Amino acid sequence: MRRKQVLQGNIIVAKAALAAKCNFFAGYPITPSSEIAQFMSRELPRMGYDFIQMEDEIASLGACIGASLSGRKVLTATSGPGFSLMQEHIGMAVMAEIPLVIVNVMRGGPSTGLPTKPSQADIMQVRWGTHGDHPIIALYPAFADEIYSETIRAYNLSEKFWNPVVLLLDEVIAKAHEDIELPRKNDIHIYKEKIHRIKDLNIYDREIGENPPRVDFFKGYPIHIDGLEHDKHGWPTSDPETVNKMQTLRMQKIYHYLDEIVKFKEYYMEDAEIMIFSFGVSARSSLAAIKMAREQGIKVGLFQALTIWPFPKIPLKERFKRIKKVLTVELNMGQTKYEIERVSSDDVEKKALLRANGIPFTPKEVLDKIREF
Amino acid sequence: MENRYEIRYGAVGGQGIITAGALLVDIAVKRENKFALESPTYTATVRGGPTKVDIIISDQRIIFPQACAIDFFVCTYQKPFDLYKERLKDDAIVITDSNLVKDLGDTKNWKLYRIPIINETKKQLGNIILTSVVTLSITQKLTNIIGYDNMVCYIKKWAPEGLVDLNLKAIKLGRDLIN
Repeated sequence: MRRKQVLQGNIIVAKAALAAKCNFFAGYPITPSSEIAQFMSRELPRMGYDFIQMEDEIASLGACIGASLSGRKVLTATSGPGFSLMQEHIGMAVMAEIPLVIVNVMRGGPSTGLPTKPSQADIMQVRWGTHGDHPIIALYPAFADEIYSETIRAYNLSEKFWNPVVLLLDEVIAKAHEDIELPRKNDIHIYKEKIHRIKDLNIYDREIGENPPRVDFFKGYPIHIDGLEHDKHGWPTSDPETVNKMQTLRMQKIYHYLDEIVKFKEYYMEDAEIMIFSFGVSARSSLAAIKMAREQGIKVGLFQALTIWPFPKIPLKERFKRIKKVLTVELNMGQTKYEIERVSSDDVEKKALLRANGIPFTPKEVLDKIREF
Repeated sequence: MENRYEIRYGAVGGQGIITAGALLVDIAVKRENKFALESPTYTATVRGGPTKVDIIISDQRIIFPQACAIDFFVCTYQKPFDLYKERLKDDAIVITDSNLVKDLGDTKNWKLYRIPIINETKKQLGNIILTSVVTLSITQKLTNIIGYDNMVCYIKKWAPEGLVDLNLKAIKLGRDLIN
């Protein structure tokens, strides 16, 4: 039997990042994510790698982009206000197709907001924070073991799809010290793509649905990386046909692989007449509430999203063919509630339990809401 | 709901209760193979302001990660007592420092122990920081949520060299204070 440990959520992120071979961190500490930077500042130099505390979050992501281009596996960690500052560089990384893993331990907002209180506030900021149409992947663990596995998955997806991946975390879970059994090294799958030796500099050239090739940056090839729209060589262009092709390539590299990217867990769903849609700490409130409801004979189940973006539209639509009552539970004023409205038909009765005052829902509060159906 | 036991320690920063929470969870997980979770205060209040740590221990995986029906509460100062007595069960076991928590308000059906934890720790052990192990020992004795032998073994290994005896004295003091 593996030995159980007691680890703080933030430290689980840092340990998983190191297990995924992260070898660069640039960041600016911010509550409630600071322990990630603190841990990496000690561990990375010890391993011969780099930790840089930058002057702010804009510079932090800039440093991560540079490091990623040079072949490093990078990490930065922040909270809502810092994540706002990172938006421009997130767009740059999407446009230039650069792998990044960004952890956002959310807190109440807007602005400086509620620094030490949980809020599932940045779900829409993750999706649409940077300007322009763009693909984004966001993962959202709820339990200690999921923090570990989803951090590893964030690296694998960012490396495979050459795109920023955001790991969202709730303050309650990031700050709690919880029992966890870490997996053995051999049980961890780390995605590794072979490096292509490019001949003709067409680094963005590929068919729709294909991933961009991993190229050997800074090894004797002149490569053009740009935030401007570009052609297959990476040179700036505004030719409508090329722009259309490049936009499609970037979107489809994600949307062709939804089966691989979209992950969720289901509890008590086999005979459920009511479905709760939730994630993070709210999924934990909901699951505890469902156990109480089941004791009272209420047939309710949980759909816990582990991938929040791309939104789990297809599996949800499938569930709505059978289940005609849905309760969205989220610690904000209603962000994914609208996504649920988009993916469910009019004959589905929809309710939402929403709050943004820094206090997670107790199971009893969720139970009371379930009973309103 | 899962078979869970909820514990809250409240104090002012520096009295050592955050350490007490960490010790309790570590013993429960590593020596008793239980599921456990603790959420300590981490803001500037840990340096002299009101602090608390919530601990949940269960035989099953802990689903909801916050304390919402507290079974056991130790508090060594008035302000944290006023702030953190919410969410206590009506029949909770409540231990307060008899010198530093004067106003208890409505004591419901609490099983109440008023004992001079801080004074006796200072007088008998010479350092207020040992409140951590005293609190742990009080918790062990009154709840049996962790075994006595497991606690002693753990503390012997955990205590810095030369301070093992002092920590064992702290365990004894915790037990004596309850008698």
